[in-house]
Amino acid sequence: MGKVLFLALLFLGGNLWARPVNDNLEYAGYLKTEFWLKNYNDESHLSLSSFKNTFDLEVEYELSENWTFFLHPRYFYDFAYDLRDDYNSYFDKNQFKMGHTQRTEWLRDCYLDFTSDKLDVRIGKQQVVWGQADGLPFLDRVMPFDLTYYWLPDFADIRIPLWMIKVEYSPWLNSTLQFLLIPDFEVSRSAPAYAPFAFKANNDFETWKASQEALGRRVHKDLYRPAKKFKNSRVGLRWRSMFGDIDYTLNWLYGYTNSAYNYSEGTDSSGGVLNYYFSRKNKLSHLIGFSFNKSFINPGLFEGWTLRGEFAYIHNEPTYYGTRGSRKRTERTDKYTYVLGFDRTFFTNWDFSLQFSQFIHDKKTFEGYQVINSYTYGLMEKIENTLTLKIATDFIHERLKPEVLVIYGDDNDGRISFKAKFEVRDNLWFTLGYHHFWGPPRGSNGQFRNNDHLVLETKYTF
Amino acid sequence: MRRLFIFAGFLLLNLGVFAESLEYHRVYTPQEGMSAEEIMKIKYHNKYSLYSYDYQQIGEVLYVDPSGFTRKRVWKRQRIVKADQEGISYKDLVVMTYPTQVKGLAVLTWTYQDPEKDQNVWLWIPSLKKVRKISASEDDDAFMGSDFTVEEVSTRRFEDESYKLIGSKNFPGYKFEHTGEVKFKDKPCFVVECTPLKPHWYYSKRIVWIDKDTGGNIFEEYYDKNGKLFKTLFREWVWTDLADKKYPTQISLECKDLRTNHRTVILMKDTEYDQGLSEYDFTIKALMRSRW
Repeated sequence: MGKVLFLALLFLGGNLWARPVNDNLEYAGYLKTEFWLKNYNDESHLSLSSFKNTFDLEVEYELSENWTFFLHPRYFYDFAYDLRDDYNSYFDKNQFKMGHTQRTEWLRDCYLDFTSDKLDVRIGKQQVVWGQADGLPFLDRVMPFDLTYYWLPDFADIRIPLWMIKVEYSPWLNSTLQFLLIPDFEVSRSAPAYAPFAFKANNDFETWKASQEALGRRVHKDLYRPAKKFKNSRVGLRWRSMFGDIDYTLNWLYGYTNSAYNYSEGTDSSGGVLNYYFSRKNKLSHLIGFSFNKSFINPGLFEGWTLRGEFAYIHNEPTYYGTRGSRKRTERTDKYTYVLGFDRTFFTNWDFSLQFSQFIHDKKTFEGYQVINSYTYGLMEKIENTLTLKIATDFIHERLKPEVLVIYGDDNDGRISFKAKFEVRDNLWFTLGYHHFWGPPRGSNGQFRNNDHLVLETKYTF
Repeated sequence: MRRLFIFAGFLLLNLGVFAESLEYHRVYTPQEGMSAEEIMKIKYHNKYSLYSYDYQQIGEVLYVDPSGFTRKRVWKRQRIVKADQEGISYKDLVVMTYPTQVKGLAVLTWTYQDPEKDQNVWLWIPSLKKVRKISASEDDDAFMGSDFTVEEVSTRRFEDESYKLIGSKNFPGYKFEHTGEVKFKDKPCFVVECTPLKPHWYYSKRIVWIDKDTGGNIFEEYYDKNGKLFKTLFREWVWTDLADKKYPTQISLECKDLRTNHRTVILMKDTEYDQGLSEYDFTIKALMRSRW
């Protein structure tokens, strides 16, 4: 019945909605249908990866000049699982986790805003974004991430919102101190094993687990989440100001890591059965960083360029050590990351954005084991380099907006994502996208090298 | 006699300032006997509303292709005139409100007094929920995909062209295609030829009709390097009466690309001046308040 109602909303809903309403109440939203088509079949699943339908509504109610309430629910249902109806495959076993909106994520925003010249306060479920980088979450670590579709969706959709208090105080113009108190906790999540964008490490573990269980052994995995107590709240501070033409921020965040990390808890043979024990835990960690940007607006060689950057020092974050494809230790270490971005418009309306980043491990080895990628268990170097290039333009009076993003890392690991949006009319958009991956099997992108996807999207807005 | 002194004083005041920039927060109108440069300085003063302390308005953009198919964008613009404080001429905040696909997209722009300096531009990107500093758009890029270029709407300065006064003429009238009305027929105007100082620019010259009443540029003709007319731009200027003063205000624009027969109409409404807008509303913090 729920599905029928949802379908009715999807196909008829557009006609039911009208534009707002009165001076205080405003709303907007969309109905979106996405097809994700895998163009290289392997044993894990067939061509149709996703047939996802999303309903999104945003409502703003202005209570007074200074107070505003904002509500933003969203729900999706993926019909791919119903269409295939093959419950023996891994693909369809994932329906429970991939087929519809998870947990409380249907509520994207729900907050009360107080705004004034000097003081802004936002209380409720929301997103907070730090940093200057595009597509590289170095400082952007306040929110947990939903990586069920890797890093491919818009970042606003990847972040999992949290209940929190955000206070912004401006002691003077153009300078603001932000204080965050986050009593809520959600863990970053990735796709379940064998889903289209399941991480290699996850797939490997499930394969190993199945092989052990086939031998009559048992594999136990316990999750330890921080209790939702006030004392476990995460806290953050950000100072934003300007130094001449340079905008800068200083950032500090303390609390439990958004990601949970795997630990081996040993084995026993109780009851004559060999038991393996594993746990997943979030650990306390510090993040200290800064970001800046500057547009070169005076005549000269660099006129028209924008330079931006961010740096993050992550203290005491769990790190995996092992051999290729095998985690042996999980130890808390320090990491340093930075990104530099260079933006410029050429040829009238071609926007170029180039980024160079480095991810530096404080300790490359531990007890003879090398640091490994958390998602793939591939071996990592002490310094990992990444280069990204984004080119965007528009045609036909901005009706057609193509863009291409290239990400290139060490060991010839990379991705190229192409996207073109076409405005059919004010409230109807078509999008065509393609994601191509390459690299070694345990590279960040190379793990999906047999997983190129064509994406078709229709979005009806109201 | 008193009237004569007042008139002479007004004339001197109008003429005297042209050796330097015009004063902020004052209304100027072109007078007989002024040079092309003096008339164009008034035109730019009016174009960027530098006579006011602040203003806000709603703008509706219509993109009309030759078949009549129309797309629409709506924005809310706020401006505070800084009058050269800290080298800033004015600050703009433009927030898109329609359609939903671009709703919430907001642009904060600081324009400097020094004509050599580009603008500083920050963008709120709803899909990232993030503020990005961006490079100023190329001046010859289409403004929001319209038939206007960026410089025609927001970045062209007095110093970008040289000027020649062609003379005084009555405007023959413009048929505003959006409504079918003929506007400003027989309106007394100064006609000025403007030549861009940038080499190989997208136009070789433009002919500008300046309304003697408001000082607004009511009509422009753009010529390519072969001397062929390729674009016309109409602006409807009216006086907005306030309690103790009146300000020249643009209420509609129509730009026609004669090569493609595509046109863009911009309709301004709900214009309010001198509301005492706070400069805190023109900061990055204010940009980040965007909820959409």
